Amino acid sequence: MSGIRSLATPLARATLTRLALLGALAGAACGGERNAGDAGTQRGSQSPVTAGGVLRIALINDPIFNPVIAPDLGSVMLNKVLFPGLVRPDEQLRPVPDLAESWEASDDGLSYTFKLRPGVVWHDGVPFSAHDVKFTFDQIIDLDSGSRLRSDFAAVDGTDVLDSLTVRFRLKAPFAPFLTLLGYNAGILPAHLLRGAPLTQSVDFNRRHPVGTGPFMFEEIVPGASVTLVRNPRYYGSTPLLDRIVFKVVPDINAQVAQLRAGELDFITVEPATLASVQDVMGVKVLQVPVVQHYYVAFNASRPLFASPVVRRALGMAVDRDAIIKGVLRGYADMPRGTIPVALGDYFDDSIPPVPYAPDSARVLLASAGWTRAPDGKLRNKAGKPFAFSLLVDKGNPTREQTALAVQQDLRKIGIDVTLRTMEFAALVRDHVLPGTFDAHLIWWTTPPDPDQYAFYHTGQDNNNVRWSNAAADSLLALGRRTMDPVQRKEIYRAFQRIEMIDPPVLVLFYPREIQAVSDRLQGLPTLGIRDALRYSERFAMKAR
Amino acid sequence: MGGFLLRRLGHALLVVLLVSTVTFAVVHAAPGGPALLADPKLSGAERQAIETRLGLDQPLPVQYGRWLARLARGDLGNSFLFETSNVSAIRARLPNTLLLAGTALLISLVVAIPIGAASAARPGGWLDRLSSGFAFVAMSLPAFWLGIVLILTFAVRWRLLPAGGASTVGSAGSVTDRLLHLILPALVLATAGTAELLRYTRASARGVLGLPFVRTARAKGVGERAVRWRHAMRNALIPIVTVIGLQLPRLVGGAAITETVFSWPGMGRLGIEAALARDYPLVMAITLLVSIGVLAFTLVVDVVYFIIDPRLQADR
Repeated sequence: MSGIRSLATPLARATLTRLALLGALAGAACGGERNAGDAGTQRGSQSPVTAGGVLRIALINDPIFNPVIAPDLGSVMLNKVLFPGLVRPDEQLRPVPDLAESWEASDDGLSYTFKLRPGVVWHDGVPFSAHDVKFTFDQIIDLDSGSRLRSDFAAVDGTDVLDSLTVRFRLKAPFAPFLTLLGYNAGILPAHLLRGAPLTQSVDFNRRHPVGTGPFMFEEIVPGASVTLVRNPRYYGSTPLLDRIVFKVVPDINAQVAQLRAGELDFITVEPATLASVQDVMGVKVLQVPVVQHYYVAFNASRPLFASPVVRRALGMAVDRDAIIKGVLRGYADMPRGTIPVALGDYFDDSIPPVPYAPDSARVLLASAGWTRAPDGKLRNKAGKPFAFSLLVDKGNPTREQTALAVQQDLRKIGIDVTLRTMEFAALVRDHVLPGTFDAHLIWWTTPPDPDQYAFYHTGQDNNNVRWSNAAADSLLALGRRTMDPVQRKEIYRAFQRIEMIDPPVLVLFYPREIQAVSDRLQGLPTLGIRDALRYSERFAMKAR
Repeated sequence: MGGFLLRRLGHALLVVLLVSTVTFAVVHAAPGGPALLADPKLSGAERQAIETRLGLDQPLPVQYGRWLARLARGDLGNSFLFETSNVSAIRARLPNTLLLAGTALLISLVVAIPIGAASAARPGGWLDRLSSGFAFVAMSLPAFWLGIVLILTFAVRWRLLPAGGASTVGSAGSVTDRLLHLILPALVLATAGTAELLRYTRASARGVLGLPFVRTARAKGVGERAVRWRHAMRNALIPIVTVIGLQLPRLVGGAAITETVFSWPGMGRLGIEAALARDYPLVMAITLLVSIGVLAFTLVVDVVYFIIDPRLQADR
C-alpha cells in the first residue's frame, strides 16, 4: 500500500527530468536536483525552507485514528502522521530508525532486539516505553482485537519487554520482510490509554482523542469535513516546520480538483483521466512517483480454459500494454515484466525484456494449445467450442474500465470473445474474487515495499485468488521469505520473475505511478507515495505567498 | 382532530415498520457486502473473526430480530464504518443537512410563491415568460453539473465564494463564514424545487383567479391587490402546501448529491457512504430517521391543511 521507488533505475531518472519539465510548465520554481538516498530530500524548490503555515490535504473518508484496526486510505494517511512505528522507510525503501534507535537480529533470524529512542513522550506527556510496543504487537497478532495487520505479522510469536527501552520480538520462523513491515503500517499505540478494552470499542480514542508520538498532534475533528493536526513541540525528531496540517474530507475527485484550483487544498492525488484539469494551472505542480502496485488481469487457473501456461502466455502477447500505458494512463505507468514492480528497485529485474505485443505469435501459441481460427474468425477448439470468457472489472474507475475495454478489444482481434461485466468493487471482491467464481477479472495488488509475494502467488495461500500453482515458484517464494541476505534475495526474486515470464500467474498490465497535484508552495515533500511521504511530515513546509 | 391525529400516527408506525423491513431486505440483497470484508487481502480466519464480531455470521431473520429488539430499547446500533453508535454518527451530520435543506426550502418559497402569483396575474407577460423559461431550464439541470459549474465560476475563477465545506477550518463559529459556505450549495439544492413550486403556484393561482368568487370580490369593489393576495392566493396555496410537503424527500435525497459536490458534511452524504460501504446498521438508522421525518412532515402538512381549509373539518 505504499510507494517507494529507487532513484537508481534509469526509469526513475527519466521521471525526474519529466518532473522538472512539468514543474516548469506549471510556472513553478522547480529545481529537481535530488540526492538519491537521502529520504526527505526536498522536491520542487531550492529556496530556503520557512517555518509556519498550514498544509491542507484531501481525504476521501472520515478516518479512524488507530493504525491497527483501520485499513482504509484516509485512516492510513492520518495514522502515518500521528503514530510513528519502530522504523520508517527511506527513499530507497530501506527501513531506517524511527521510534527504535537501533536493532539487532539473531543469527538464526528468530529474534530481533530493538533499542528504543529515549526521551520520547506521547502527545499527552506520558513517556513512551517498550510496554507500548509490546501492547501494540499483542493486539496486532490477536485475531479478536479487530486487528487488520495480523497477516503482516503472522510470523511473530510474541514480544518481550527486556527493560523500559528494550523490546525483543520472537519469530516462529525467519521472516525477511519483517523490518520493512514494521515501517509499513505498524504505528505504535499508547498502552496507558487503550489497555483493558477491545481496540474497536475505544471509540473516544479512535474517533475523537487520538494520542500518538508523531510530529503533529490531534487538535480538532469536524465529522465529515476535516481533521486538524497541530505541531507537536515535544516531537523527538527534527522540529516540525508547519504550524498545522488540515486533512479535508472531499470525497468527490472533481470537487478536489476545484478546491485545489481555488487554493483551498494543497495536495491531492489524481487519476490519469483527471490529469488535464490540474496541468498548466497557476500555482499547481504535478509530480509522479512509482508505487509498489501491479495491475493485472487475473485468469482463473483452476478453470480448464486457463489451466495451460501456454494459453496464459499467449493472452499476454495479445494485449498491447504500450498502447494502454500511453492511451489510458497518459504515460503515467511503467512497462511491466512480472509481478514485482519497478518501484522495488534492485529486486525488479530490468534485464528481462517486456512481453512483446505480438498477436501473430499469440495465435501460433494458441494453435499449439488446440485453439485454431474458425472460418467465422473466432478461435475454437477441436470440439468447436469458442474461446470465450467474461472479464469482471469494478465500476466507476475510468482507468480500470478503459483498460478492461482495451484488453477486450485486443483479445477480440485474435478471435477471443470477451464479455465485460462491471460491478461495485465490494461485489467484485466478495461475490467473485474470494469465492473463486470468475473466469477473469481486472484488479491490482498494493504490496508492502518488499518483493515477498508468498501470500499472493504461493500454492494454496489465502490471497492466491487465481489458484496459480508452480512448484519452482513455490520453493523460491518460500526461500525468499527466510533468506536475510539482500544479495541472495535479489537472485531469488529475479529467478521468480523469469519463471513468471514462462508460466505467468497473472497478465500484468502495468505498474502505475501515483500522480500528485500539489501547490507549488509546498516544500520538503520526499520522493515517496503520499502514504509514506506523510511519515516525513515534520519536514513539510509552505512557502509564504 | 384528536382522533384524526391518532389514526395518522398509527398509520405512520405501520409505514415505518414496513419501510425498515423492506430496507433490511434490500440492503442485504444488494451484491457485495460490508466494505470491511471486501479487502482482498484478508485471510479466511480474519474474515471469520470480523463476521462474528459484527454478528454477520447469523442467519438474516436472526439479524433482523436482533435489530428490532435493539430498536425497541431505543438503540439504533453501531456503524460498521465508523465503529461508533449510529446516533452519534447521525447527530454529527444532521444539523448540517437541516441547515442546507431548510435554507433551500426557504429560497424556494421566497422566490417561487410571489413570482408564481405575479406570473399568474399576467399570463404571457414578460415575468411569466421569464419565469417559465427559468423553470424549464432549472428542472432540466442535474445538480452535480450545476454544482461544478457554480464552483468553477464563483470559487475557481472569481474566488468570491468557497469551493466546498461548511466552514473554513479554524474559523468555525463565524456566521459570515458559514453563510458564505452555504450560498452555492443552497442555491443548487433549491433550483429544481423552486422551479417545480413556481409552476404549481402559477397553475394553482391561475385556476383560482378564474373562479366566480374572485369575480364577485372584484365586482363588490375589493381592490385588485386584496383580491389577489387575500382572496385568491389563500385558496391557491392549499394544493401548494402538498407540493411543499413533497419537497422533503427530495431535499434529503437531492442533498446527497449536492453534499457530495460541495463536500458538505451532511446526512445525505453519510447515507451514500453507508450504502456504498454496506454499513447495514447505519443505512437502517438513516432510513428509519428519514422516513420518520417524512411522515412527521406529512402529518404537519395535513394539520396545516386543517387550519387553512375549514371545509376539511366539516368533511370529516
